[in-house]
Amino acid sequence: MSVPELVTVSVDGREVQVPKGTGLVETALAAGIEIPVFCYEPRLGPAIGACRMCLVEVEGMPPKPQAACTLTAQDGMVVKTALTSQLARNAQNATLEFILVNHPLDCPVCDKGGECPLQDLTFRFGPGRTRMTFPKRTFDKPIPISPTISLDRERCILCYRCTRFSESVAEDGELVAVNRGAQSMIATFEDEPYRGRFSGNVTELCPVGALLPTTYRFEARPWEIQTVPTVCGLCPVGCNVNVTTREGKVKRVLSRNHPDVDGGWICDKGRFAFGHLGARDRIVDPLRRQRRRGLQPAGWDEAVDEAERLLRAAQGRIVTALSGSETVEQAYGLAKLMRTGLGAHTAVLPEEISDAVDGFRLPLSAIAGAELIVVVGDDPVEERAPIVDLWLRAARRNGAEVVTTGVGGGAKACRQLAGEDDELGRRLRESDRPVLIWSGSGGAGGAHVAACAERLGFGSKPDSGVFYLPLTPNGRGVVEAWSAASDDEGPDPDPIGLLFVSGDEAASDPSVRSLAERADAVIATTMFQGSAVGWADLVLPGTSYLERDGTFVNLEGRLQRLRRAVVPPTPDELAWISQLAGRFGVEVSPYPSVVFGELSERIFGGLPYGEVGERAALRGREPTGELRAPAPAATPKGRGLRLVRYRPLFSGAAVERVPELAFQRPAAEVQLSPQDARRLRIKAGDEVDVRSNGTSRRLRARIDKGLVAGVARIADEHAEELQATVEVARA
Amino acid sequence: MPQPLDTVKGFGVTFKQIFKKPITQEYPEVKRPVYPRFRGRHRLWRFENGLEKCVGCSLCAAACPADCIRVVAAENTPDNRISAGERYARIYEINMSRCIFCGYCELACPFDAITLGNEYEISEYARDDQIYTKDMLLAPPIKRTPVADAELYDTPIPYYKEHA
Repeated sequence: MSVPELVTVSVDGREVQVPKGTGLVETALAAGIEIPVFCYEPRLGPAIGACRMCLVEVEGMPPKPQAACTLTAQDGMVVKTALTSQLARNAQNATLEFILVNHPLDCPVCDKGGECPLQDLTFRFGPGRTRMTFPKRTFDKPIPISPTISLDRERCILCYRCTRFSESVAEDGELVAVNRGAQSMIATFEDEPYRGRFSGNVTELCPVGALLPTTYRFEARPWEIQTVPTVCGLCPVGCNVNVTTREGKVKRVLSRNHPDVDGGWICDKGRFAFGHLGARDRIVDPLRRQRRRGLQPAGWDEAVDEAERLLRAAQGRIVTALSGSETVEQAYGLAKLMRTGLGAHTAVLPEEISDAVDGFRLPLSAIAGAELIVVVGDDPVEERAPIVDLWLRAARRNGAEVVTTGVGGGAKACRQLAGEDDELGRRLRESDRPVLIWSGSGGAGGAHVAACAERLGFGSKPDSGVFYLPLTPNGRGVVEAWSAASDDEGPDPDPIGLLFVSGDEAASDPSVRSLAERADAVIATTMFQGSAVGWADLVLPGTSYLERDGTFVNLEGRLQRLRRAVVPPTPDELAWISQLAGRFGVEVSPYPSVVFGELSERIFGGLPYGEVGERAALRGREPTGELRAPAPAATPKGRGLRLVRYRPLFSGAAVERVPELAFQRPAAEVQLSPQDARRLRIKAGDEVDVRSNGTSRRLRARIDKGLVAGVARIADEHAEELQATVEVARA
Repeated sequence: MPQPLDTVKGFGVTFKQIFKKPITQEYPEVKRPVYPRFRGRHRLWRFENGLEKCVGCSLCAAACPADCIRVVAAENTPDNRISAGERYARIYEINMSRCIFCGYCELACPFDAITLGNEYEISEYARDDQIYTKDMLLAPPIKRTPVADAELYDTPIPYYKEHA
């Protein structure tokens, strides 16, 4: 990129040099002067100058106040803000007086009170008292525009931040301004809830208390809260978040802008799913199966004794099933206990991880600047890693082309792309900034897509990148930690003496459950009773990502620091892993910092724990050896449509326990390609029967233009027992 | 060198006091009226229609330099209307053993819901009993504290204190 031309601007007599085209608000900030704003937010696209708060006087322009947010720095510009210009001061004062004409004096009951830009700016720039003597405009309030967001139209100042977010960031278009002029108001379509995946962001954008999260309603005031910077542990993106706590409880989750990872947006799952911490069936005491009485609470001493007994009785015939939501330290501690202490090297890893993609590593934000993006795979990107979908939308707005391919057979599509005569492959070769994203199952941890990138010549282009969207939040870190614990291998035990299940995701995995049927005993670590009842002999309480200290590795391979926001109701995993390891002569520290120090030597290049950082940096590209794509899994043959299952974003043990998110759960739908729908004479919204070998599900049809013919896509929780090939017919 | 005369003089001062009127008062039986602006135990107020004035905004807790007020708010519902605003204080506690009776809470209160009364006899045998709950604060004080006539002083009574 060329170096941008610098221009000199005078703001209140202070000369600053900024790149040409910088917004005047930023220019003033560079001069150390604040221009107050409500509607201005560069992340929402071009400024619209709706609130008129940023009025300044600019010499040489018409002798009336100018909206600073809509102007850019030009050479020789002389700007006077309210600090030096009476004109600007009067204008801002009048703007605030106008805004406050209809703004109710709700501050004592408003959740925004204390962290409200309108309050702050009124104190600093506004009139001290009101001249308004007429009754203010009133509306019904609060209006729940979705179970998670409430709207208070009286407080709204019509800055249009929320509608601009809905229109040009999330692109769902569900939140709009209706009517005109003074009658304008924010609304959703005909009382439909705001169903977007990123809807919660509008509550953070709103500069007044008009849009507020219902989960935070009257929960705390800004001076009573603590803020803990951590990362979200619900999907592999690892958005940086600030967790607000009060009196030892999580009250809300806010984004903590990491420009390379999330750009300051988080999805509704990350924002609202924290309610699962206080779920009714949360396990707080160890549970032990007792004859005829089922699982009974046990003390910790008894539970660790019992765990030791079970581990010894298995004589090394142990299988460990990991969830991919453990911290790196927990996974390493557990691996050390199992592998060095007990010689049990067999594990059901959360997913396959290949380090081949590390050779094409880029920050997620690079997607927005890409030229051509090819998404390979079955799963909708927003279901797997929602923020990546926002980056894709940003790329599309920036003029990039986004192509989805390989639905129903990603590996085959990769091979085809890398071929000599493929049109899309040729364009990827020619592009300067191509990006490949694997979003689906069976990607061999990214090996397919990395091999494809290698053959397309991505290696020589520093702006090209490959992303593999894993299924689990910390699958990468867990797999790395497990393999770092020992170099030995062992035979798979048969029969299995003990199955050790770590985490709720592993506990609800059908393949793990089927292993349990072959195991003599099962130890499960779960947060919720629902995941453990009926099959575990000993249940040790688990903790959530908000209750742990440690590190996570996100899909880019970025090591990020997780901080304990609240103290869990039970000792965390590392505490009892450490105790248990001690009984088998293995030393595992109960402190994540110490465990990380040990592990860092081996896999993170000796990075100290304290330097993982609040805004973690991305490691550079790591050269990979000769890349060879593994053989693609055989695609099932048979009549009918191939069933593609995907795990929806709003599913899983945590989301199921949050009643506010119930409306976001996936509908009982089957997605069909337009061609298949036409062939089967199915229209969108029809009730259809999906059949395979004796099982049948009645679902609603949805036509998805992104699907290829011959594929039916159903969310995991609705597909249930359906086989790989299904027949779809109108009911 | 002994000075017998000085000793007698000294006792003279002592004996003179016997015939004077004592200025001490027998405290528990006799209570001195407090200064009208005296700041004692807090009181939470209701409107005449029975709704609480407090909306649970926590501004008193924010203003409190001793951090002795704890407010947990909740939402009013049509069948359970506690206060006049959207929210009410579900829990309102003042730790009297921490309170320094500075009166910042009544200054901060936007609804004149809390005022400091005149009662100062708030000793207890247990620290836990020093934590006053909302019910205790809403109830009028059990003991009456005599208050001096405001007319005797030329300092004005603040508006928020008039009804206390």
